[in-house]
Amino acid sequence: MLPFLTRMQSQLDDSPHLLRLGRLINDTVLMKVDGDEYYLTFDKGHLSEIQPGPSRKTPWRFAITTDRAALEEFWQARPKPAFHDIFGLVTIGRARIDGDILALVKNLRFFKEVLAIPRKEVSA
Amino acid sequence: MSTRTSPARPEPITGRYYTVDVEGAPRRIYVEEAGQGRPVLCLHTAGADTRQWRHLMNDAEVTRDHRLIAFDMPWHGKSLPPEGFETEEYLLTTEAYIATVLAVVDGLGLERPLLAGCSMGGRIALQLAALHGDKFSGFIAIEASDFQGAWYDIDWFHRPDAHGGEMGAALVSANISPYAPAEERWNTLWMFMQSGPGVFRGDLSFYTRDESLVGRLHQIDTIRTPVHILVGAYDLTCTPEDAKRTARAIPGATVTVMDELGHFPMSEHPEGFRPFFSDALQKMRVPAIERAEEQA
Repeated sequence: MLPFLTRMQSQLDDSPHLLRLGRLINDTVLMKVDGDEYYLTFDKGHLSEIQPGPSRKTPWRFAITTDRAALEEFWQARPKPAFHDIFGLVTIGRARIDGDILALVKNLRFFKEVLAIPRKEVSA
Repeated sequence: MSTRTSPARPEPITGRYYTVDVEGAPRRIYVEEAGQGRPVLCLHTAGADTRQWRHLMNDAEVTRDHRLIAFDMPWHGKSLPPEGFETEEYLLTTEAYIATVLAVVDGLGLERPLLAGCSMGGRIALQLAALHGDKFSGFIAIEASDFQGAWYDIDWFHRPDAHGGEMGAALVSANISPYAPAEERWNTLWMFMQSGPGVFRGDLSFYTRDESLVGRLHQIDTIRTPVHILVGAYDLTCTPEDAKRTARAIPGATVTVMDELGHFPMSEHPEGFRPFFSDALQKMRVPAIERAEEQA
């Protein structure tokens, strides 16, 4: 999972529109994938740190819990229905969002597009 | 050296403002139309406006023998909110929605038009099928269902500390198919970004809280007015299961699942939607009651 997250980190730095959308975001988001924890710290929209868990000391604003197979389908160029969106994963029970969901929703476009960075391009 | 610019390219869509009385008070309504022939009144989704229909209204094959008419609901698009809106909490109701659609039908002198509505427009189309079927000649209910509760909090979309339009657009992007061309995905989301403060929330209040259609579906007479439901496989809000359940409760209704489309098919993926809409129009072509009378 770490290679996906580091790719997310570097491509976010190369995405001026995402950095503009996320310029007020200074929060830590917990991603739990198959039980493995990753603490993603955003600083003015940059993903400044990826800290693998487990950790009982790292505060987080909201958490997304899912599984690798769901994410791999989510990252397909054209995922199956419900796998095409984080809320779709939630509605089919393949993801859960905990914590301050409003912090996610207020910046929903930013977080959705960051999570989708590893998504494959549609081949011509 | 002089430069010549290419001439502007007009579209066949024309727009006009009308004042119609709804529940005893005037409403300034913006109406667009294109085509000639059988009238089809088109209802937009929550938080959006008539622009969702522009591709079909610009489609010569559709407008060759159909007159497509779309209007912005009060509070939406170019239609103004009612006088005194500045102190009013906008909460759409089934009654006000029905009254508005009927006022437009009567005000424009439409003689038993087809009614095509998407999402909340599809919901109200089915309400009108149940309660005022005689005013229409058929119903194309798109992303339409009897009822389903919200998987989100509608209050997210009207807060003083955030942009409701941007949040609404980001949320409804969940309902757009990955097959949708990027340009039309973003044009579709733009309408939500532009939605007036509290309008999307007020529409969703109707859509996610009023269950009254459930007990009325059996009243729909598809012999007199056919009902065809279209639903996109990528619609998280009105899922294919929701649409099929609804169709099963309406004797004679038909339903088609559109595998590569989402909740805003006419707007997000016009090329993908066109054959399904054309097929739906074919299903509406001869009212079943007339066929029955011919056969008698």
